[in-house]
Amino acid sequence: MKKSMEKKKRINARTIVMYVFLVVMGLIFAMPMAFTLLSSVKTKAQIFANPFSLPEVPKFSNYIVAWVEANMSRYFINSILQAGATVIILAVAATMAAYVLSRFDFKGSKFLLLFFTIGMMIPMHTVLVPISYLIGAMNLKNNIGALVLIYVAFSLPFSILVMTNFMKGINQSLEEAAVIDGASYFQIYRKVMIPLSVPAISTISIFNFLSAWNNILFPLLFINNKNLKPISLGLLNFNGERGSDYGPLMAAIVITVFLPLVLYLLFQEKVEGGLTAGAVKG
Amino acid sequence: MIKLKNGRAKAYIAMFLLPAVLVYLLFQIVPLVAAVYFSFMDWNGIGGSALTFVGVKNYINAFHDADFLLSLQNMLKMVFFSVLFHTPVALLLAVAINTRCKGYRAFKTLFFVPTVFPLTSVGLMWYFVFMPTGFFNALLKNMGLDNLAGPWLVNQSTAINTIIFVNIWAGIGYYMVILLAGLTTIPDELYEAASIDGATSVSKFFHITIPMLKSTISMCILMDIIGSVKVFDLVFAMTGGGPNGLTNLPTTLMYNEAFKYSHYGLGSAIGIIILVICLAATLGSNLIMSRKGDPQEG
Repeated sequence: MKKSMEKKKRINARTIVMYVFLVVMGLIFAMPMAFTLLSSVKTKAQIFANPFSLPEVPKFSNYIVAWVEANMSRYFINSILQAGATVIILAVAATMAAYVLSRFDFKGSKFLLLFFTIGMMIPMHTVLVPISYLIGAMNLKNNIGALVLIYVAFSLPFSILVMTNFMKGINQSLEEAAVIDGASYFQIYRKVMIPLSVPAISTISIFNFLSAWNNILFPLLFINNKNLKPISLGLLNFNGERGSDYGPLMAAIVITVFLPLVLYLLFQEKVEGGLTAGAVKG
Repeated sequence: MIKLKNGRAKAYIAMFLLPAVLVYLLFQIVPLVAAVYFSFMDWNGIGGSALTFVGVKNYINAFHDADFLLSLQNMLKMVFFSVLFHTPVALLLAVAINTRCKGYRAFKTLFFVPTVFPLTSVGLMWYFVFMPTGFFNALLKNMGLDNLAGPWLVNQSTAINTIIFVNIWAGIGYYMVILLAGLTTIPDELYEAASIDGATSVSKFFHITIPMLKSTISMCILMDIIGSVKVFDLVFAMTGGGPNGLTNLPTTLMYNEAFKYSHYGLGSAIGIIILVICLAATLGSNLIMSRKGDPQEG
């Protein structure tokens, strides 16, 4: 009797320590986000007078200023188009390459896989000067196609590795049946491999979408047309031009994180898996 | 595996590889080779202008450049403190969340959510928290700690530390999720057997959890080292490398040297140095890991 009570006490003490830790960490994580969200509906004077106060009348017009005047709507759409195109091209190019790398044995197939793996090790900064040179030489300044292809190139190694690993694990009996039915390799790729690979395709697509959405380095390099800039660069732009318009700026931050946040809340497990796939599978 | 022998089948299969190989060659491999080449050249970056071969002069210049040495020092600090805090704190959070206590999902979401945000917005968020009239100083004043308040990102002694703190904040959730995945692979029987033997939860943590997660932890540390070397967006958004270049990392210095001051040779050399540091970190940790052996298949 006494022993079990002691045990219960110990468990309680442990639980309390754990919750204190979680709550303290939770506050450290929540505070900057709460501050940003709160400030996004306040006037500058209200933010300075008391950063913690709730505004009596929320100033939602900050969002209109950010969305319309500060061009955030344009940046938002640009990012959706740029990240969306990146995701689609990568899904096609990576699955096609992965199909070959996971199913065919030919001279150089091992080398090819290694060749793509090397890319995972290349930091963006290492190739920044040559890429900027290339952009200049090929007259691709402000060319969104080039931007998308650069995103594609940087996400290809990861996408190909994840897809190849996944496809290697797919049972081959369906393909064999398709071969007997006289299907071509392309038909097998289209009708068998792609449908069976949907889970891995969604994993790489989430990763690729967020990578493109969050990138600033490449657009910084050669997208200076205001109507073509992606959202995170647009946000910096807004900060540079009207850095003391705190309310609308906070609203712009919220707009910038809105889509990744919604994606995460909707597909929690998938996003966590997608972002850490490089760690777990690579 | 399907063996390919005849030429037509090979040509057909090559078509599948073509898009990936082309894009990858053009925007990764060619620039990589060119980066090495450019790092041995002196030029002003303007297409068509003369390139002069200067050997390793750019590298020598880099290592004689006080700004670059400072950026290396900042980078080492960034790596050290990120490694010191990321994995250990993430592991504790993962263990706490793995108990599936009440509210664990909300906590997990809260800790992971910065990972999906663009780092520029994370940087700006914290910029406004740490600016002189910002949230953090107001908080200190509310707690009666007025004398601790200061211009965190302007003050020379605190600027880089503040950025390092934000980098730690932004990355913990990522390592937490990786470690959580590792925790679920540890068989419950191990803990049950230990409980029967009367082990406390602390000793279970040190004698079961940590040894079983050894390869996951090593991987987290390796990724953290490389990730910390490559930090750019946060610094760019929060200070741009200032005040007076004091918060520069090799990445931001490289960007400024090449694209602000047109020192393309020096910029390329720093880019290659960053690559070498990342490769060395990977090789080094692979060596250490393979020598020590590992109970868990990684």
